[in-house]
Amino acid sequence: GQEFQFGFCHVQGVKLQVLRKAFGTLRDTVQAQDNTTSVRLLRKEILQNISDAESCYFIRALLKFYLKAVFRNYYRQASELRLRRALSTLTNNFLALASALQPREEDKVFSLAESARRRFLQVQGAFQQLDVEAALIKAIGEVDILLTWMEKYYQ
Amino acid sequence: EDKPNLLQHVRFQSWNFENILTWESGPDSTQDTVYSVEYKVYGKKPWLAKEGCQQITRQSCNLTAETSNLTELYYYAQVTATSPGGQTTKKRSTRFNLLQDTAIKQPDVTCVPKVSSVQVVIHPTFTPIRGQDGRPQTLQDIFQDLLYRLQLQVNHTYAMHLEGKQKEYEFFGLTPDTEFLGNVVIFIPNWYKKSAPYVCRVKTLPDRTWTYS
Repeated sequence: GQEFQFGFCHVQGVKLQVLRKAFGTLRDTVQAQDNTTSVRLLRKEILQNISDAESCYFIRALLKFYLKAVFRNYYRQASELRLRRALSTLTNNFLALASALQPREEDKVFSLAESARRRFLQVQGAFQQLDVEAALIKAIGEVDILLTWMEKYYQ
Repeated sequence: EDKPNLLQHVRFQSWNFENILTWESGPDSTQDTVYSVEYKVYGKKPWLAKEGCQQITRQSCNLTAETSNLTELYYYAQVTATSPGGQTTKKRSTRFNLLQDTAIKQPDVTCVPKVSSVQVVIHPTFTPIRGQDGRPQTLQDIFQDLLYRLQLQVNHTYAMHLEGKQKEYEFFGLTPDTEFLGNVVIFIPNWYKKSAPYVCRVKTLPDRTWTYS
């Protein structure tokens, strides 16, 4: 079946098409509200330089960030915009991915985890520089960028 | 002072990565309204003027060359409409996602009838996108999960199906000297993309093996 293989981390049961379909429901509404077209959180320079070995640490940090700092804080707006179901689908699948992505003790390499954390902090830093509402909208509007990066690890 | 509405529905229309920006005149525009197009990479600062689409009267602009970088992927375009009196309306497209927003044209196919089979040959579909080596990329180069779905309608109730990534297929066990309707579709599962079908009507050859015995 279809599965994600992020370096040493292996995840089954989460389908990329389901995530894309859920995002497709949100996309036009959310991206239309994002007027800071000169700012991108998930920048190409960050994503392109993540090695295979780092990918598990990076995606774990990013999924947790989306769950705790983004999706959780967007439910009120999503309800108003009738996007709650799509947001729940994304949340549930991100939760499944994040909990399944546990690097085994023997695979833990401090330098890789540290390198991935520094890259993640660049994303978080850009997010925190924006006004709260604008940051939420931009982060959710960039889920397609995340999914396209994740597809490289989808077999 | 009411702002004039000289422009509406600025959007990308894309087929096999041929990316055309289109728009419609607004309620306040006239024959003499002119349009100027700019584009940008999402996340970068500058808006860049599209050469060849400045002060034009037509309502489309080919942005394929400017929006064909597989490492950038996300673009915006905006159009400024100017009336003869100098009033302007500026409108922006939605965020264009190169991989998500391109539709897939029907495949290029040759159906070859034989006595008791029909061979189907699918030709590669080249796109305007170039790889790092400068070579034009095919749809299959870009979408790793691309596959072909073939169907041959044998009669009202029965159809044969084949599916795969290869380029050549053959439907066997057919009745000679009989007409069949075949169709071929490109399918890209990860992106929910499906092309229009290529349809071929083909007749198997007569079986002459017993003619001279």
